[in-house]
Amino acid sequence: MKPTVIVVGADKGGVGKTTIARAVLDFLSLNNIQTRAFDTETPRGTLHRFHPDETMIVDLTSTADQMKIIDTLNSSQAKVSVIDVRAGGLSPALEALDEIGFFDAVKAGEFRFILLHVIGPSIASLDEIAEIAPYMTDANYFMVKNHVNDTTFFEWDPQTHAKYFEDVNTTGEITIPKLGELAYEQVELAGTPYSTFIANQTAEGEPADHSFVLRGYVRTWLARVADEFERVGLLDLINGAGKGR
Amino acid sequence: MSRRTLVFFVCSPHSRTGATTAARLLTDYYLSRGVPVEGFDTDSREPCYALRFPGLSQVVDICDVKGQISLFDRLLVPDDTPKIIDVWSRSFDQLFATIAEIGFLDEARRAGVEPIILYQSDSSQMAASNARMLNTTWPDLWMTVIHNEGAAPLGPEALQILAQYPSRGKLVIPRLEAAIAQSLDDFDFSLSAFLQAPPPTMSIVVRAALKAWLLPIFTQLQSFELRLDLQSSEFLR
Repeated sequence: MKPTVIVVGADKGGVGKTTIARAVLDFLSLNNIQTRAFDTETPRGTLHRFHPDETMIVDLTSTADQMKIIDTLNSSQAKVSVIDVRAGGLSPALEALDEIGFFDAVKAGEFRFILLHVIGPSIASLDEIAEIAPYMTDANYFMVKNHVNDTTFFEWDPQTHAKYFEDVNTTGEITIPKLGELAYEQVELAGTPYSTFIANQTAEGEPADHSFVLRGYVRTWLARVADEFERVGLLDLINGAGKGR
Repeated sequence: MSRRTLVFFVCSPHSRTGATTAARLLTDYYLSRGVPVEGFDTDSREPCYALRFPGLSQVVDICDVKGQISLFDRLLVPDDTPKIIDVWSRSFDQLFATIAEIGFLDEARRAGVEPIILYQSDSSQMAASNARMLNTTWPDLWMTVIHNEGAAPLGPEALQILAQYPSRGKLVIPRLEAAIAQSLDDFDFSLSAFLQAPPPTMSIVVRAALKAWLLPIFTQLQSFELRLDLQSSEFLR
């Protein structure tokens, strides 16, 4: 299994990057894929709060932290590394990865690179695509529409869409369904992975007292998100059986 | 014999088919036998069921997540107390959509809770087809049809109509003469209390007619309860 780096990011804030990163971690864990995560929201990472055991808080522009991620891709037992990039940090993160030769290694087939680009509801989000396009030549680019916070997306005019995407080969489009506000809020308060909340456990593994109704909603939502990841072939891609790069 | 906590959803997709009457009769049946029950009324606008049993029932709005939590989280407690839900016809679709969405039935069985549908029949094709749809979606879900001859008469085609329902048995609530039925309208009038000690001011004729109507219904409910007990017996499976 080739080491895979999954970057979850957007330059715009409040589009639910960490929500997606958490869902990816749960999805991979439920599929028995050993994964580690890096949270670039320094000094206090949100992803780290939900997945403290497998998440390290890093500064992607620091050489020491770059080494912690890239130099250990081959030696780490976890063959998948998820990087949750803080708001506004996507372009600088890609630039930093480029500078250290990460994309050359991807091109050489040493690593696999997947970008989950979480877009916001406005067309301004699409402007980010032009900025990240230069780094996408050998990447598997997924556009993620996140409806978890009840975001509505406009229907893009095909010509406008084509204009923005002419430099990026999209591997797939992922739609994250809405999760009811109360359920979303309770998982936030619980501060645990979605799967732990569903299993009615605390972060320490003790029995919790979460509402069954809310756990039911989260379980159904997570199953639908997993269906989306399956549909776009995320697992096949990680396992090297997909059509991606 | 392993007892499971029973949860009765008394429901119909249509109004005025007798769902509240059935929920009331079932509640009074248990109370007359000294069995404590817990009731829920999903009609927040006119909670006629909850108004009859103020101490042991609550109104829940299942269109709201907080209402859903009040209902379903409570229903999953395996405390041997039968739970009776009078499902408002307007919340029929929402109820089953929520049951599906949150995976209530699987969790109920895991928790030792047995959900039972008491489905009110009526003469429309839609009622029967909704019942079939529920049965197709959840083949293991116990469904019994209640035919209320007064509220939703089926006419001479009754047998053919009832045959369209995928039901494990049926219960019949006979028609009650309007003059006698009036005595049931008072919210303070309790059928279980009536059986123990009829109000002294009540006409002897009304008293006799009401008993003649009520006792066969309670006998049916007793048979139904016995059948449920036998069904849950590990030795008879």
